[in-house]
Amino acid sequence: MRALLRRFRHWMHRDEFERELEEEMRHHRALSAEQRGSIGAANLQFGNMTLLREESRSMWSWIVWEQFLQDVRYGFRTMAANPLFTSIATISLALGIGANTAIFSFMDAILLRTLPVRNPQELVVFRWRAKTQPGVIHGMTGSRFGDEGGSVSPNFPYPAFQMLKANPDGLSTVFAYAVAYRRLNIFAQREAEFAQGLYVSGEFYKGLGVTPAVGRLIADEDDKTGAPAVTVLSWTYWRRRFNANPAVVGQSILINNLPFTIIGVSAPEFFGVDPGAQPEVYVPLHTVPSLSTFRQETEKRDFFDGNYYWVEMMGRLQPGVSREQAQTALAGRFRQYAASTASTAKERVEFPTLWLQEAAGGLDSLRRQYSKPLFVLMAMVGLILAIACANIASLLLARTAARRREMAVRLSMGAGRMRVIRQLLTESLLLSLMGGLAGLLVAIWGIRSLTWLLANGQERFTLHATLNWQVLLFTLGLAVITGTLFGLAPAFESTRVDLTAALKQVRANEAGGRSRGFGLGQVLVTAQIALSLLLVVGAGLFVRTVANLHSVNLGFNQDNLLLFSLDARQAGHQGAALAQFYGDLLDRFRRIPGVTSVGLSQFPAVAFFWNSEDIHIPGVQLPEGEETSLSIVDPGFLPTMQIPILRGRGLEQRDLTSPRIAVVNEVFVKKFFPNQNPLGRRFGLGKEQPADIEIVGVARTSLYNSVKEKETPPLAYVPYTQNLEGLNRVFFELRAAGDPLVLVPAVRRIVHDAGPNVPVTEVKTQAAQIDETISQERTFAELCSGFAALALGIACVGLYGTMAYTVARRTSAIGIRMALGAMRGQIVGMVMREVLVVAAVGVVAGLGAAWGTTRFVESYLFGMKQHDPAVLAGAVLVLIVAAGAAGFGPAWRAARIDPLVALRHE
Amino acid sequence: MGDRSEIPPGTLYMLVLKTLARLGEMHGYGIAQYIQQISDDVLQVEEGSLYPALQRMLIKGWVVAEWKQSESNRRARFYRLTADGRKQLARELKEFERVMAAIVRVIRPA
Repeated sequence: MRALLRRFRHWMHRDEFERELEEEMRHHRALSAEQRGSIGAANLQFGNMTLLREESRSMWSWIVWEQFLQDVRYGFRTMAANPLFTSIATISLALGIGANTAIFSFMDAILLRTLPVRNPQELVVFRWRAKTQPGVIHGMTGSRFGDEGGSVSPNFPYPAFQMLKANPDGLSTVFAYAVAYRRLNIFAQREAEFAQGLYVSGEFYKGLGVTPAVGRLIADEDDKTGAPAVTVLSWTYWRRRFNANPAVVGQSILINNLPFTIIGVSAPEFFGVDPGAQPEVYVPLHTVPSLSTFRQETEKRDFFDGNYYWVEMMGRLQPGVSREQAQTALAGRFRQYAASTASTAKERVEFPTLWLQEAAGGLDSLRRQYSKPLFVLMAMVGLILAIACANIASLLLARTAARRREMAVRLSMGAGRMRVIRQLLTESLLLSLMGGLAGLLVAIWGIRSLTWLLANGQERFTLHATLNWQVLLFTLGLAVITGTLFGLAPAFESTRVDLTAALKQVRANEAGGRSRGFGLGQVLVTAQIALSLLLVVGAGLFVRTVANLHSVNLGFNQDNLLLFSLDARQAGHQGAALAQFYGDLLDRFRRIPGVTSVGLSQFPAVAFFWNSEDIHIPGVQLPEGEETSLSIVDPGFLPTMQIPILRGRGLEQRDLTSPRIAVVNEVFVKKFFPNQNPLGRRFGLGKEQPADIEIVGVARTSLYNSVKEKETPPLAYVPYTQNLEGLNRVFFELRAAGDPLVLVPAVRRIVHDAGPNVPVTEVKTQAAQIDETISQERTFAELCSGFAALALGIACVGLYGTMAYTVARRTSAIGIRMALGAMRGQIVGMVMREVLVVAAVGVVAGLGAAWGTTRFVESYLFGMKQHDPAVLAGAVLVLIVAAGAAGFGPAWRAARIDPLVALRHE
Repeated sequence: MGDRSEIPPGTLYMLVLKTLARLGEMHGYGIAQYIQQISDDVLQVEEGSLYPALQRMLIKGWVVAEWKQSESNRRARFYRLTADGRKQLARELKEFERVMAAIVRVIRPA
């Protein structure tokens, strides 16, 4: 230990040491010369000064380094001598490491990155938590998600923000923002387009420490009722939409048909506070009412109602104050606030509890959405890497045979065992580093395709993974660890050599004529087969899930159907005029050549949209809070979707002018009118509305919210003119005679003619829409199939290599058998038996592992159990066939052995 | 240099340690000279092995070195035994005597 310290000190001051050594030697020579009377003689006697210096230097530390360089050189030579082995190993490692790097870079992007603002570690985000639904919350706009034993939300009332801002205990600043859940209609340079918006309080930019790239940012004086309407653009939006033209600052644009002045552009790296949202247009919080549908009600509710929760808040910790300290102070104040807003005993049962969450990485929407699937993927690619490691280890073991003599020679010449192991490890590390390097290329490709898979057609996908230095470090670490892992066992194995036997080239395992049952090589191959089975089972489960999802009976015809969305409300049309606008468009779409039928609905079917209302029926006793789902449509919707009417009639044009009627689905009838004739009966929606909606028809049940829905809810189709006040954005369904996408240019032209400030959005086919809703399952199925194929390929290479080596090792034994009259078929059978034993053991182990682990993905499966017998049986079959194919080559080769050659070989 | 003998392998450390034990403190040249003189010029210390050996002994902590003025007024590195070095010397002497006695027994005429 002390020696190590001295060595280290030497290394730190190595220049000084060298100088000293030189001086010492000069001294020696001088004295020597004095004695001999001649410098030449002294030099001669001293010998090669440089060599001497070098030797002294190596004494201190460099010997290890020199040997390492030797090992590296030797390693490269060995690799070059076995190009097939080297390339198989490098490729399988590259795939394994590359896949891991790609997935890790996504985890890095989601879990590890910080916001590009000043001192992000000081940021905290406000949340509340409650076990039940707190009574003081009368209304809420925003997100809310389940947590252990309750729910969590980031939304607070505006008066609470004002109170906390006025006296932010422990925080240096508090700022608020709210997501614009309906995208903003931006009309600029004579073109309308939707953009993601974020409402921000005046302290937002100052609090985050974000600087403007151009102009200025929203400040306190902009966020007031009556202040001139201003907006700040994000850097990317400014570049995309305005070609990075600095002259747009000061110009006016229309947002939801209201004029706003662009005052600036935020810094290039700033993307907002949520890596998953990335807003494009920022407007002051106080412009929310004017941009909303009901201005006065919104203003009263948003800024003066202490029970309406909608703004999100962030703060910055004062230096030296911990998050817990600030939280204790602020939670107390918020509790008092919440208590002051309660007016009844029911509202005092539970108050929301404020807590602060660390926000250096921004909001965690991406984390919630993707972290579980990413962990599943990470586990899969981890398995692949494990298979690749086991594979290379088994190949190295096989190669050990070829190098047994080499090792024996080295050891008998006096090389230390550790020294030889070190050299072998250097070789495997070289391999793994090469694999890692090639893996980076795989990773770049992997990140690209994974982004494409996950984005799945989303217009603005916000999850961006890159190869930064953390990811590179991860890759390097992975390469080193795998290199050590797969190199260690073979290195120890190959240096455990029976010297005499090896030097005499007796085949050690031949004595008994059979290989010793289960060697390390077989164990490694078995492990590979077991792990591959696991992945094949996973692939099978996901593929069947997707197949099940595709074969779901939708209840409507999804083929040749074009979908798109319009929001003329944001462009200024309202009420009856809006209904007229949509009605005119329907007429014009119907006349496009190639369109067989058109329909309109509030939202498309099975797209995760949901609209439900309380229902009451005269003469029927319903439990409190009984609801029916709604589908707000035009008369063309049901025929266009090809949903048949079973009783009564469908919606007709005349219903648009007297719209208090409805068509209901079978579930509705079964639930509310069991064994009765529903036609002519009436019901009411909402608590205060009269029961004046007459049922005129019953439609066949079709899926409503999602292809995965287990039970379709009771549903009422009502005319879109029934509630003109609430009418805003709608979707159109166009049934085409052929490919529906050829209709798009005509649609755009018609909409542009009717209202140039109304953008056409979400243009896609109904089939693509459904595919999107099952994208996660599809992505899993595609990735997992790829991974399984990869694993299977690698495992087959391993099995092939091991069997080929076994056969090579037993050439003469097989030769003897054949000389004694064994038939070729018997030899093939003998080798294949061994292959199948290895495969069978692997399959059994893999089945055990699959039984235990598939429950982790159960929530991703549809229409089947985690232990689906067909999938398990299929996977076993695939593996046995693959193993047989891999083993047949060596078996065939064994059968071709010429007994004469084999015996002479000795 | 035909009349001079190489130092038997493995004994250089012992000789250097012993020399330092006698002289207390000496530079490399002095050590070589001393061994040569005491052995009546039989043992020739190769400088090529002396300095690496001194370095190795520094690493092992058997000796420490210090720069000082030499008797001829030059700067020289003087080596001195440490406690570890003394122990090592005792060990090596014991081992050497054991081996020596064994060799003598072998070559002694029967």
